[in-house]
Amino acid sequence: MKTTFLATTAAAAALLASQAAAFEPESGETIKLMQADWTSMLVDTEILNIILSTYGYDVEKVIADDSARYPGFENGDLTIALETWQTTQDKAFNASVATGKVLDMGELGPQAREDWWYPAYMEEQCPGLPDWTALKDCAEAFSAPETAPKGRYLGAPVSWGGFDEERIEALDLPFEVVHAGTDAAMFAELKAAYERKAPIILWVYKPHWAPSVYEGSFVEFPAYEDACYSDPSWGVNPDMAYDCGKPQGWIKKMAWAEGEEIWPCAYEITRNFTMDADEVGQLVYEVDVEGRDVDEVAMEWATENESKWREWAACAAD
Amino acid sequence: MSDLHHRPAPADRPVVLSARSVWKVFGEDEAAFRARPGPNRAPAALERDGLVGAVQEASFDIARGEVFVIMGLSGSGKSTLLRCLTRLIEPTEGEILYHGEDILKLPEKPLAELRRTRMGMVFQHFALLPNRTVLGNIAFPLEVQGMARAEAEARARALVEVVGLSGREDRMPSQLSGGQQQRVGIARSLATDPEFWFLDEPFSALDPLIRADLQAEVLRLQREHQRTAIFVTHDLDEAIRLADRIAIMESGRIVQIGTAEDLVTRPATDYVRRFVAKVPPAKVIRVASLMSAEVMPDAVETVPAASTIAAVAPRLVAGSGPLAVTDASGLPVGCLDRQTALRTLAEGV
Amino acid sequence: MADTSPTSPAHQAGRTGAGRYAACAAAVAALFVLALLLPPALRDLPPAAVVPLADWTGDALNWFAREASIAGLPVSGITRAVASAAQWPIEALQVLLADGWAKGAGFNRVQIAPPLSWAGITMAAALLAWRISGRGLGLLTLGAGLYLALFGLWTSAMTTLASVLLCVIAALAIGLGIGIRAYRTPSVEPAVRAVLNVMQTVPIFSYLLPTLLLFGYGPSAALFATVVYALPPMVHATVLALRAVPAETLELAKMSGCSRHQTLWKVELPVAVPRLAIGLNQVVMMTLNMVIIASMIGAGGLGYDVLRALRRLDFGAGFEAGMGIVVLAVVLDRLTQTAARNRAQGRTGLWTRRDSLLALALLAVPTAASLAVPALAAWPKALTLTTAPFWNGAVSVINTHFYDALEAVRASVLIHVMNPLRDGLAALPWLAGVLALALAGWRLGGARLAGLLAGLSLFVVLTGYWQAAMGSVYLTLLAVLLALAVGMPFGIWAAGRPGLRHGIDLVLDTLQTLPTLVYLLPAVMLFRNGDFSALIAIASYAIAPAVRYAMAGMQHVPSERLEAAAMAGCSKWQSFVHVRLPAALPTLLLGVNQTVMMALSMLVIAALVGTRELGQDVFTALSRGETGPGIVAGLCVACIALSVDAILKSGASRAARHQGETHV
Repeated sequence: MKTTFLATTAAAAALLASQAAAFEPESGETIKLMQADWTSMLVDTEILNIILSTYGYDVEKVIADDSARYPGFENGDLTIALETWQTTQDKAFNASVATGKVLDMGELGPQAREDWWYPAYMEEQCPGLPDWTALKDCAEAFSAPETAPKGRYLGAPVSWGGFDEERIEALDLPFEVVHAGTDAAMFAELKAAYERKAPIILWVYKPHWAPSVYEGSFVEFPAYEDACYSDPSWGVNPDMAYDCGKPQGWIKKMAWAEGEEIWPCAYEITRNFTMDADEVGQLVYEVDVEGRDVDEVAMEWATENESKWREWAACAAD
Repeated sequence: MSDLHHRPAPADRPVVLSARSVWKVFGEDEAAFRARPGPNRAPAALERDGLVGAVQEASFDIARGEVFVIMGLSGSGKSTLLRCLTRLIEPTEGEILYHGEDILKLPEKPLAELRRTRMGMVFQHFALLPNRTVLGNIAFPLEVQGMARAEAEARARALVEVVGLSGREDRMPSQLSGGQQQRVGIARSLATDPEFWFLDEPFSALDPLIRADLQAEVLRLQREHQRTAIFVTHDLDEAIRLADRIAIMESGRIVQIGTAEDLVTRPATDYVRRFVAKVPPAKVIRVASLMSAEVMPDAVETVPAASTIAAVAPRLVAGSGPLAVTDASGLPVGCLDRQTALRTLAEGV
Repeated sequence: MADTSPTSPAHQAGRTGAGRYAACAAAVAALFVLALLLPPALRDLPPAAVVPLADWTGDALNWFAREASIAGLPVSGITRAVASAAQWPIEALQVLLADGWAKGAGFNRVQIAPPLSWAGITMAAALLAWRISGRGLGLLTLGAGLYLALFGLWTSAMTTLASVLLCVIAALAIGLGIGIRAYRTPSVEPAVRAVLNVMQTVPIFSYLLPTLLLFGYGPSAALFATVVYALPPMVHATVLALRAVPAETLELAKMSGCSRHQTLWKVELPVAVPRLAIGLNQVVMMTLNMVIIASMIGAGGLGYDVLRALRRLDFGAGFEAGMGIVVLAVVLDRLTQTAARNRAQGRTGLWTRRDSLLALALLAVPTAASLAVPALAAWPKALTLTTAPFWNGAVSVINTHFYDALEAVRASVLIHVMNPLRDGLAALPWLAGVLALALAGWRLGGARLAGLLAGLSLFVVLTGYWQAAMGSVYLTLLAVLLALAVGMPFGIWAAGRPGLRHGIDLVLDTLQTLPTLVYLLPAVMLFRNGDFSALIAIASYAIAPAVRYAMAGMQHVPSERLEAAAMAGCSKWQSFVHVRLPAALPTLLLGVNQTVMMALSMLVIAALVGTRELGQDVFTALSRGETGPGIVAGLCVACIALSVDAILKSGASRAARHQGETHV
């Protein structure tokens, strides 16, 4: 009985394969999709994996660190990444593209935002918010015993950078930075504080599930410009740089330049691959809040949006 | 060396193993020892230079079929000497001749071959392999030789019977008593039917009753096959019971080699004298030593010349008048005066 | 060393206790005066004087990994080839255990053959456990399999199991090889031991990056890093086990005419098996320890489940997945232990041909049936059990109701103990620190120890990590004190209650294999980000050796001494103070040593809740992809570990000698 079954499945496999074989990939070489450790990238990378695999490409997902990716892309260890955030990777990305070994594949769609964020219930204790100047007067509302009377600002992991110490000094804010060790630890504290309606102000970024689950807002700092970080005379503090909020900006796709020759159609598909912010937010919510499998959520999206991505893959249609 | 106190090997049997001026010196600069002239090899001189002479100038011959016992207190160097004979310890100097061939000059392979085929050894703490059964332990030396499994097991089975462990073939060493474990050790040492049999204090870890059993066992096994046995012990009774000749060691030196009777009747040094002081002379003095040469053809009672006085004591007490002494073939060789013999029997009681 | 000479300072000082303390106090006072008078360069090393070792290391490694070539073959080519060779068995095992055989991908994916059914594997493993050990272990194995299946962890667990099996086999083979070599060639041994000591104390994160550089991202890099991590205990155990083979047994081998090869395989290794098993056990435990970290670089499995769950702050799910790792660890540990014990005791014939056939049937039938009954291939999601809501609820309840009390504790410890100590150590000039260490070394072990300690601390100073190192020292010191204060008395108490032993072992095993993050993040909810959470996490991990060694030390007091004390009419307390404690002291000191090592190995994990010290430097370097700083900061952690080790070892050997003098 088992053999019969195997024979049947093999036949079915052959049939399916022959359907897909209408398109023959340009190369049998493995396309390595980079995955960092945040949810949106896990889901959209899996979606791209499904699409490329469906057209017969040999695809492998490779976990790599956000900031450590560039050498991999320059030497071909990594082929495609769907998310490069301007907020943290601006300079490194541009430098890497400038080497000519890495391609800018266009924007994914959503805009990235990261900055100081507070839960809505804090507006009562600090009525001037979201304007940043309000923080000067109600720092004590955000204080902890070891920082009092200064406020306690929970910063991102040290490795993320972000210039918060500099910002506090430049804007003369009565705050102390305490760095979280990891993303998860940072949001764990938010969750704990939110449950108790306790004071907290911290670094939040989006697309992320937290701003959609917890009610709150970003602090409105003076808007970022390049000059703010590089030119001390810019902004409210004439003697110091960093007297503004954090950059907001694009999320871009990138790829290994030589791959263009190897898999032109796959690169075409990647260029066409876009999603809007709500779509990404919903996918992240399904995974992070509903606790569903990444693969399952991605497959669901692919099934529902088949016509959309078949369009992106026009080069593989015939 | 061949002074009065070193009885040579029995002349009627060929010498099969000889030690010639064997030295084993422990210390940081063992090599430098070889360059030393004789006078500088005195214990005090060695000690000054941080050297310990564990075995000092040991020389002796052992004849085929002889039981040669090396005896001494702990630290006297007896085990070291035994290990020099098998090259488990590399002697610093000297020659060790097996049938005239110096094994110290042998390369590794022929030495291993020699040990595989012609030597067997019984260890103080049995040295059984805990992961093998009784049978597996006994078959081990055969397995090392490369013998086919079936054949090795058949031989091992035969030996199990010889040492009286039938029915326990598949036990593990941990399931056996100490005496049984040493029986396995004995069977293993005989698996290859070796010509030379080394026993390193084999019974010192066992209870006295079991010890006596096993001593008898060892004698039987040695006599049946006329093996040449070198036996190390610190137990004088054991030595007297087993030995053809005994070598007594004192801090690295052999102070006397002789039969038990030699040691008791003609101790070479004070040390030996104190050592044997507790031994009743009748237990070691043989009839041959006390008899007169005159032959009494009509004597009713006879005693063997090789027996000890203690062994013939019942007959001494039972009658009167002299006894005829016979040799191994039963021919009369002399006569024993009952009074002389009884006096000996009374000594040291 | 110094103690062999009667005029050594240690000896002189030892005669008069008061003089010793006075000298110490004077030295400390002098150091502080010195600190105030020192020129700034001797307080904080000016940046210009820092040796750019990190840069050199980074450059060298980059060059080695990318450009160097050996005999015309580029190193990168060789390492990549090795990596893809290693990939093959990983994938094969994964197909068999976790994924089944599938063709195509995306919309064209077709499952050709299912993986072995969970029911089949569970039953076959339970059969094995039952046969080699007995009903207890059989039921435990069955329970473990059911837990993994019913809680929906099966596929991940099998992925983890596949990589653990490979790592254990690789570490076993390589560890045995190195160990045998070190044992046979005594001249190699010190070098091997030195390298192993450093390997054991350098944090894992330090060599993750070089591994990635050499072997590329993916499961094989994770495999290599894990093997490197799990290797030292195997090598140590091999050397110790072979050394422990009785001399007579080796003589037996010689007298039987064994060749070197025969001696090794027929005599030495079989006799050493029970001790080798200790090494194997350590390898299994350390491999499972590494699981969560390996999952960060692409090994997937249960470690990845833990990370994912914690990322969405689902502590309950994280706990469940973490317990999956513990369950695997416990089953593997007990199975390997039993197998080794059986082997050592020569218990054979427990597993017959019929059992093999039965096991095959147990594997095959459910697997075949799983084609028709999907529940046998993967337990249906709808029927999956979970306790996550309970745990999440518990954390929330504690958070809302007990937070204020906990916060008060946290704040007062932070303000009154931790911060002052941190600031005090941060203010310590490096020269004073180096001198103090050298002095301590001189008094404890003479010039050699003093030189070693000065060298190790100067390495930290010159590479520019002194400040960070002081941060590590402060955290480690407090965590160790906390772990000892809780663990040692508990261990001493528990030593007198053998009935508790089984339970305590299980708890300690759990503490050591449950991924730290599982309790680190709930701790963050209650104690916020920062040093206090780190302290709790480090202490709770380091407490296991404190308890274990305290128990061992107390249990191994010679009974004659206790009888002597009883006959002398000692009260329980007197017997404890005068007999038990002194006799256990060497073991207790060893326990302190292990506690420190564990604490240091946790620094890197503690960095995940935001510390500022070497662990954080290592972690940051890893996430930024900077090879050099990661390695050098890691070596600085190793320097601290080696210093503590050297100080405590000489302390322990003095204590042991003291024992010898007064009690034997």
